[in-house]
Amino acid sequence: MAASETVICIGCPLGCRVVVSLDKKGNVTRIKGAQCKQGERYVLKELREPVRTLTTTVRTMDDAYPLLPVRTTRPVLKTLMADIMRETVGVRVKPPVRCGKVIIADVAGSGADLAATTDWKG
Amino acid sequence: MAERIDVAVIGAGPAGLAAAIAAREQGAERVVIIKRSERLGGLLPQCIHNGFGLLYFGEDMTGPEYERVFMRRAEKAGVEARLETMVLDLGEGREITAASSRHGYMRFRPGAVVLAMGCRERARGTLGIPGGRPSGVLTAGTCQRYVNIEGYIPGERFVILGSGDIGMIMARRLTLEGARVEAVVEIMPWPGGLIRNEVQCLHDFGIPLLLEHTVTFVHGEGRIAGVTVARVDAERRPVPGTERFVPCDCLLLSAGLIPENELSLKAGVELDPVTGGPVVDENRQTRVPGIFAGGNVVQVHDLVDWVSWEAEAAGRAAARFADKGKMPFAGKVRVSPGENVKYVVPQYISGKEDVTLHLRVTRPGRKAALRLGGKAWKRFRSVRPGEMIIEKVPVARLSQFISGGELRVDCGRGETGEEA
Ligand code: SF4
Repeated sequence: MAASETVICIGCPLGCRVVVSLDKKGNVTRIKGAQCKQGERYVLKELREPVRTLTTTVRTMDDAYPLLPVRTTRPVLKTLMADIMRETVGVRVKPPVRCGKVIIADVAGSGADLAATTDWKG
Repeated sequence: MAERIDVAVIGAGPAGLAAAIAAREQGAERVVIIKRSERLGGLLPQCIHNGFGLLYFGEDMTGPEYERVFMRRAEKAGVEARLETMVLDLGEGREITAASSRHGYMRFRPGAVVLAMGCRERARGTLGIPGGRPSGVLTAGTCQRYVNIEGYIPGERFVILGSGDIGMIMARRLTLEGARVEAVVEIMPWPGGLIRNEVQCLHDFGIPLLLEHTVTFVHGEGRIAGVTVARVDAERRPVPGTERFVPCDCLLLSAGLIPENELSLKAGVELDPVTGGPVVDENRQTRVPGIFAGGNVVQVHDLVDWVSWEAEAAGRAAARFADKGKMPFAGKVRVSPGENVKYVVPQYISGKEDVTLHLRVTRPGRKAALRLGGKAWKRFRSVRPGEMIIEKVPVARLSQFISGGELRVDCGRGETGEEA
């Protein structure tokens, strides 16, 4: 069964609604609504493998500084966000932490690390 | 503090840091940041999301990472800080009166001043929502501090009023933390924030964005129990019969930011009623000689990158003023907002320098044409009030657009334009 998917391009303020038609095998047969080529490229990538940088916090052992902000070191598959959040539960970090320090390596098997985004001397 | 200070910077967020660093780099000997709290830096540590620095560093950074770089630069540049110091008054001849627990009461006259106080969120009082005064109604920024700094989620079911960027970002953050966001309610027919936030914070999590809706009543005694949401008509009035009750235990307000200018008013700085910030020239000098301003105190920016750039311009000019003891206000040419232009910063230019115009449109539209002095300058596939337009105009081109001491800026539909 052929299908179509709508993706909003975030390439510029226009926010084109792009409709991508797919054949039975999932091959793209038509792209409609993008006003530029970069937009089409973005939409195809977003459709094939939508990725996001996930940012959150992890707990520390210090009541005066209860949270350490962290990020994935690169964009990860959107579908992994909930798994990554689950992996952070129970993590307790101790000072000192330098910005960029890996808190969880290959978090949720995403291929990216979860790393500190600030220095914490403690 | 009788010693000579060349440039005093009031505020230590991204604007204050960038202004101070730029002032030092421009050669100002003593640059001092005055800050109310005990550490330099502003609200960026609670903005743990990414999307900062894409323009400034060409890198996708989080708020804490962005601030860290500027803190280190400030330290390297030899910027001084007066912490836990509150500016009480900015008076005649740039005289600063301040009080601090550490340094006591002080009065001094720096060579130049940069206002970098940033902005604050519109609170419930200014929105005028009827209903009781239960707890659980707070601004999106306050909630952001609870969730990202203090480690406390203030509710389980949220409604967010206003689709500003912080509200949308909190919708995602709260959902990731396991709370439920019932809806983001926006009175206008378009979202207030960036399109990227609409997609990545709302669509990604299936959070409904109710455009042309508003909260008409806050229910609950003691704690908020829910809100009444209704559709609005073209005049933004609630449409009778469209009301429905949405249960929630927390209402977040994300309905706009207001430049923080109480001190500017004390100093006699003229404000632009539209931006809510000082009227400035291309050097970011205000109408009061030697008082400069940059960042969200001037106009609420979408991106911190532009806060940094604008504050740097103010810092450099302040250093030049402190050195020479004067700098005329570049008031020869008035920049006036025309068709579909809400405001333009700077409000005045000399016409003798390259200038970067910052502007916002009033209404969104497709195929908009930016016209300077009535002449076509640039076409946009689309414009949105939530996305600031920034255009650099070289001096060589400026003169052909200026007439009668005015540079008119329009951003309506082009001659060949279509309906939005
Ligand atoms: S497709 Fe092109 S024009 Fe449309 S939103 Fe994307 S970048 Fe902008």
